[in-house]
Amino acid sequence: MISFASFPSSSHDFSDYSTTRHHPDVEDDIAMDFDLEDGDFEDATQKLIVPGEPLTSSHAFMRGHGTYVDGEEVVGSVAGTVERVNKLVSVRAIRTRYNPEVGDLVVGRITEVQPRRWKVDANSRQDAVLMLSSVNLPGGVQRRKLESDELQMRTFFEEGDLLVAEVQAFFADGAMSLHTRSLKYGKLRNGQLVAVPPVLIKRLKSHFLTLPCGVDVILGLNGYIWVSKHVKESQQEGEEGFDAEAVYSNKNDDIDDATRAAISRVCNIIRILAAQFVPLTDAVLLEAYDLVVEQEGDVKDLLHGDAGDALVTALGGRG
Amino acid sequence: MATVTISKAERSYIQTSLQAKPPLRADGRALLDYRTVLLETGVAPLANGSAKLNIGKTSGEGGGGTEILAATKLEVEDIENGEGVEGGRISCSVTCSPSAYPHISSNALDDLQYDYTTILQQTLSHPTLHPPNLGILPKKRSWLLSLDLVVVSDSGNVFDALFMAARAALWDTKVPRTRPVQYRANPSGRSSGDNMQVDQENDQETTSGFDTRQMAATAADFELPDYWDEGETLGGREKWPVCVTLNILPPVHFLDANVHEEASVPLRLLLAFSFPPNSSANLQAMRLLGPGELDLAQMKSLIAYGQKYAKDLFTALEVKLREEDTRRNVKARTRFAAR
Repeated sequence: MISFASFPSSSHDFSDYSTTRHHPDVEDDIAMDFDLEDGDFEDATQKLIVPGEPLTSSHAFMRGHGTYVDGEEVVGSVAGTVERVNKLVSVRAIRTRYNPEVGDLVVGRITEVQPRRWKVDANSRQDAVLMLSSVNLPGGVQRRKLESDELQMRTFFEEGDLLVAEVQAFFADGAMSLHTRSLKYGKLRNGQLVAVPPVLIKRLKSHFLTLPCGVDVILGLNGYIWVSKHVKESQQEGEEGFDAEAVYSNKNDDIDDATRAAISRVCNIIRILAAQFVPLTDAVLLEAYDLVVEQEGDVKDLLHGDAGDALVTALGGRG
Repeated sequence: MATVTISKAERSYIQTSLQAKPPLRADGRALLDYRTVLLETGVAPLANGSAKLNIGKTSGEGGGGTEILAATKLEVEDIENGEGVEGGRISCSVTCSPSAYPHISSNALDDLQYDYTTILQQTLSHPTLHPPNLGILPKKRSWLLSLDLVVVSDSGNVFDALFMAARAALWDTKVPRTRPVQYRANPSGRSSGDNMQVDQENDQETTSGFDTRQMAATAADFELPDYWDEGETLGGREKWPVCVTLNILPPVHFLDANVHEEASVPLRLLLAFSFPPNSSANLQAMRLLGPGELDLAQMKSLIAYGQKYAKDLFTALEVKLREEDTRRNVKARTRFAAR
């Protein structure tokens, strides 16, 4: 079964712009000079700007990331929101790679195994680094890593493996260092990955969500989202008395069809919300899932036609 | 030839889902479902034919999907002294944008481009598909049809996308009209200084000056008549093949895999079919990719399945291409009316 469609028409014909008429009040606004003084600059902080838009005077302010100085003015070089710290003006871009901060929870994929470290793709500008000294050993024993551990690094993580980790620190070149020294962190299995733009992930109280449909969701702040089968609290790998070796296991548990369907559905919901640029939080996800289940559609129906628009409208711009 | 690496757990998750009853795919599609294909022809104004194609683009502002740009350009080639071939020739090339494959090295990217180029070149330049109107002057001039494709982004099923985009661009291609002209010494020798004279030649006494039927044999060069359209369509455009990739994970096979599914199947079977009007389907190309194996009986049944899928794809694409032709005619007319 195959269906063809046309590309959505590119926003507007340019000829329309010349004929656009504005309300007189609005025209005043358009003509308004953006030369902001110290006081009224506050109003502009939450404004969305486009590249090339003059922000402020270059005498009164310093240019930060996402801006440049053009003559007397500081001009934005990316589309995003204006931020100001004292005299420093910067623009936080909407479409960007992930900007890590210490303590962020990220989902990443191993790209390389190197001496005493792994390189991890975490949707950032550079690959992140996971040191051998910042992972837990299977069985939860606490000891120094020996040469024998170095030799069997691929038994912990090998190329392509997915993991959830926390940003621990930064190197001098700006690359982030990760750690998985908690039972919550470690290798991922029993599910599938969805990638969304990192700006859509908000900082939440907890990034480990459990949906009532038996699905766990890990919202990595880098825009990688892991959707997997729910694992009971008491059965988490590495817990006392439970299968300690399973921390680095590559084998999936048995997953029934209903759970698989639920995982696919959650992934599709995330894709739709991301396509409509809706920020993802636990509340939004829960509500969207309920709405979708109410409609009793097939999993794939979500990706066709106006289902996405309908879902976002029903959510009512929450989030 | 996996362009992404995935973890063992992901691979086994995808495989078990596919082998479950009923089979379930990551995004809930059925095994034989394609993602929505977006297609537009005539996207490059300077090309003789062009098309943009995207498989699986998310709606709204989101990007994603396998995006291909295809364009054809005609060049004149000299048969006597140059590289030209009697009746014209086709040359395909595929370029992969590095941003489509951020994780692979530039050498691997070159290899990948070479692989794509080879299969396209070998399939599309086959004599059975050769368009009849690529010659200009017998034994002197011919057209070189360069078909260039760019893989702008890859989210799986690149081969199908490449062939569809190639077909759309070739379908859209207009060959400029040419008229042979002859250089002949003026028999009367009127002007001694300039005795070579460009002339729409013929025997003035016996035949009309407009009769150029005999000229093709003796003509030395050609000219492009000024005409209201861009030229005539490439001959035999109904014949260009479509490709279906059967992703085989015994006992099931499925179509239009995304990158993760591609990375988790052991074997992929590429089948390029052409459906010439009023005759039976031709299998134009076949490739097996991947480390898996297949016995001959399975292969036969898969080819039969493949033909069926290809026919569906072909019909849908044909409808879309004709729709595009109409749309562009309407657009051209409104633009003309607006002037």
